[in-house]
Amino acid sequence: MADAEEAQSGSTSLTPTDKDASKICILLNATGNVPIIKKRTWTVDPNKTVSWIQKFIHKYLKLDASEQIFLYVNQTFAPAPDQIIKNLYDCHGTNGKLVLYYCKNQAWG
Amino acid sequence: MAHDREVLRMIWEGQIAICFQADGDEIVGLKPEPFYLMVSRLSYLPLVTDKVRKYFSPYIPNEHQEGAVWFDFNGTPLRLHFPIGVLFDLLHPEGDTAPWCLTIHFSHFPEETLVKLNTKELLESHYMSCLKEADVLKHRGQVISSMQKKDHNQLWLGLINDKFDQFWAVNRRLMEPYSDQESFKNIPIRIYYDDDFTYTQKLISPLSESGQKKNLADLMAELSTPVRKAVGIRTHGIDLHEETQLQWMSEHMSYPDNFLHLSIEYKNV
Repeated sequence: MADAEEAQSGSTSLTPTDKDASKICILLNATGNVPIIKKRTWTVDPNKTVSWIQKFIHKYLKLDASEQIFLYVNQTFAPAPDQIIKNLYDCHGTNGKLVLYYCKNQAWG
Repeated sequence: MAHDREVLRMIWEGQIAICFQADGDEIVGLKPEPFYLMVSRLSYLPLVTDKVRKYFSPYIPNEHQEGAVWFDFNGTPLRLHFPIGVLFDLLHPEGDTAPWCLTIHFSHFPEETLVKLNTKELLESHYMSCLKEADVLKHRGQVISSMQKKDHNQLWLGLINDKFDQFWAVNRRLMEPYSDQESFKNIPIRIYYDDDFTYTQKLISPLSESGQKKNLADLMAELSTPVRKAVGIRTHGIDLHEETQLQWMSEHMSYPDNFLHLSIEYKNV
């Protein structure tokens, strides 16, 4: 599985040993007219928030400050910005992954 | 479901007395008297504080009039998108019957700690997302997605205008097990440990492996670890009896966002 040290933005450093065990695997899918991130699978710290992921995508795609990233879980609902990835994964993860969809406009209400 | 309607009504009518005070550093001239208000436990701060904002705004300098309003209790900023009853139960000392004293701020919105869901429109969209997530857990999302836009509006308007019958005429459908089932697939539940607003969400089935309906004692066992034992559960300011069934709890004691918001008391073993 592809590793995502970039996703940490250097904010936390993890030792190679605990890295895989403690992190959560997320799958990022573009939807609508948003640029595609080629690398779809990332691993993130379970305590990172939805807004952290949104900022990460925003930065990665070099979007304008005026543009917004919306995130959806399994094409159904938009989690709150302060929700943590662990809670979403525990309730909505499938096959060891949390599937997230991102776009620049509201997609699924 | 229908026969315990009185419980729904009592939960709906739960109120909290709040004493709003101005932030001394924001006021021009004399500090205004506090503003007292009874608010629904089930509502959200931005939905019930139009009057409070209007009352204090003459004392606020012009440059802060249009600022994003927020509140704190003893220096802790209050989440605008958590139901007021959840905030109160996490932060308010038990047994203290005096009004809850909050400070209203018109400037310096703490972007680092608070999500800026400060308008009715943003809250409505957050609320609908909570309902959708809850329905994904209960019915794989099939009930909410079969509803029409007008049903969604009716839920929201029922909540913000405090119309119990209007709200429950639609919410009833979300609170019934799907088709031939006797219970939900999972119980939408948020579990709070202490007063820092972090919560845990995980898949909690209403049924045990043998198909029996689980009660709160079963839930406490599930939440206990070898070093930490769950010994009590509270919601809506009420200590819950451990024989209460999870399915019944979900149908009758969920907040309007369709989640049970439970505070757990732990004892170290």
